[in-house]
Amino acid sequence: MIYSILSSGERTEKLNSLLVGMKGIAGADINIVFFENISAIVCDINRIKLVADQSNAIAYAGVIETLAHHFTLLPVRFGSVMESDAAIIHMLKKNYNDIQQNLLKVENKYEFGLKIFCEPEKLKAELTAKSDANAKTSTSPATEINNSVYRDWVNKKLKEHRFEELLVTYVDSVISKIKGDLDQLKAINKFKKIVTTSMIIDAVFLLDKERKDLLVETVGELQNQHAGLTFVLTGPWPPYNFVDFTVK
Amino acid sequence: MSENKILFNTGSFDGISEEIGKLTSNTEESKLKLTPDNADSGLAKLVLTLVELIRKLVEKQAMRRVDGGSLTDTEIERLGETLMKLELKMEELKKHFNLTDRDLNLNLGPLGDLM
Amino acid sequence: MMHDHVIDRSKDITILEVLDRVLNKGVILTGDIVISVADIDLVYVGVKLMLSSVETMEQIRSGNPIVEK
Repeated sequence: MIYSILSSGERTEKLNSLLVGMKGIAGADINIVFFENISAIVCDINRIKLVADQSNAIAYAGVIETLAHHFTLLPVRFGSVMESDAAIIHMLKKNYNDIQQNLLKVENKYEFGLKIFCEPEKLKAELTAKSDANAKTSTSPATEINNSVYRDWVNKKLKEHRFEELLVTYVDSVISKIKGDLDQLKAINKFKKIVTTSMIIDAVFLLDKERKDLLVETVGELQNQHAGLTFVLTGPWPPYNFVDFTVK
Repeated sequence: MSENKILFNTGSFDGISEEIGKLTSNTEESKLKLTPDNADSGLAKLVLTLVELIRKLVEKQAMRRVDGGSLTDTEIERLGETLMKLELKMEELKKHFNLTDRDLNLNLGPLGDLM
Repeated sequence: MMHDHVIDRSKDITILEVLDRVLNKGVILTGDIVISVADIDLVYVGVKLMLSSVETMEQIRSGNPIVEK
């Protein structure tokens, strides 16, 4: 099983000594598979009894975390298994350019996650109040057909649709604001909108390690400016969300 | 990992961990695995998912047209009738195969993005 | 007591964030194919060679521990 792909370069001794003291899942030893200046960090799952539970997933993440302190790396998804060292080398070779590009991209950077929550009922009330204030005339044009069940249905759906549009516009404006404020941090941003009824934004940022404090400060200010929302910032993380290539 | 990774959180929202938990629990349900045993309901799920997606997109587009004010009353009436019946039919089918919107993974995200 | 409540939640949130990353993100080596339409995952095809790791992942997601040799 592979934990991560990292840039080992000339520092193979340091990598070795680091791994000697570490244990992987279920106490397995952690090994290295080298290819030129990169390595895959692996452990053998054939000879151990793998108990698949959450604590193992967390232990796995812990290994990646420790390595990330000392090396530039790309985290690999949990449960990734290849049949042999040779197969791994083949994979590293085949994807070498993509891997190098990604390692370069994440060098000296951390990932941070920002999740923003709203109170659905409150937000709904706010947005609909605002839209009623700017209401278009004639949302239900006078119709000859009275009390039509179909017309009622359309009106209901129309209301829902309008609210959705308002919500998206609102979320877009919050995202714009965040992007603007984060400009100075020179981060790579990724945003997901309206993930659940209360999680309206799920964002991840990749930025220089030294800018962490500035990020926390900026998020603090953003929270102050958006009293009705809850901002949750987590990190620093290894760059799980910024490995942008598909393995051939 | 014993390290606490939270850098900033006013802690004013109680349901945060529940909401974040949905991120990992959803992925299991959205993956469809076809085996000889579950082929029927597996296929039903797949088909219904696609149909629901299209239906919702069509409904969304219809609402945009209605909102835009370019349709006559009769047209709106006819749209309403067709779409409403379609929605009811889908509810029936979902009930028949014992599938919820959650199973069909369609309760997340604004469909507006898709158009 | 309020202080404890906030701390417990912090641990939950941290764990959930870790799991989301480690199970859903990172380099995907297993050759899983997920067919999505408009960003909605619809069909998942697990490559046979990796069946055990796929099952592993899914067991974890559903919370059922398994023992695998």
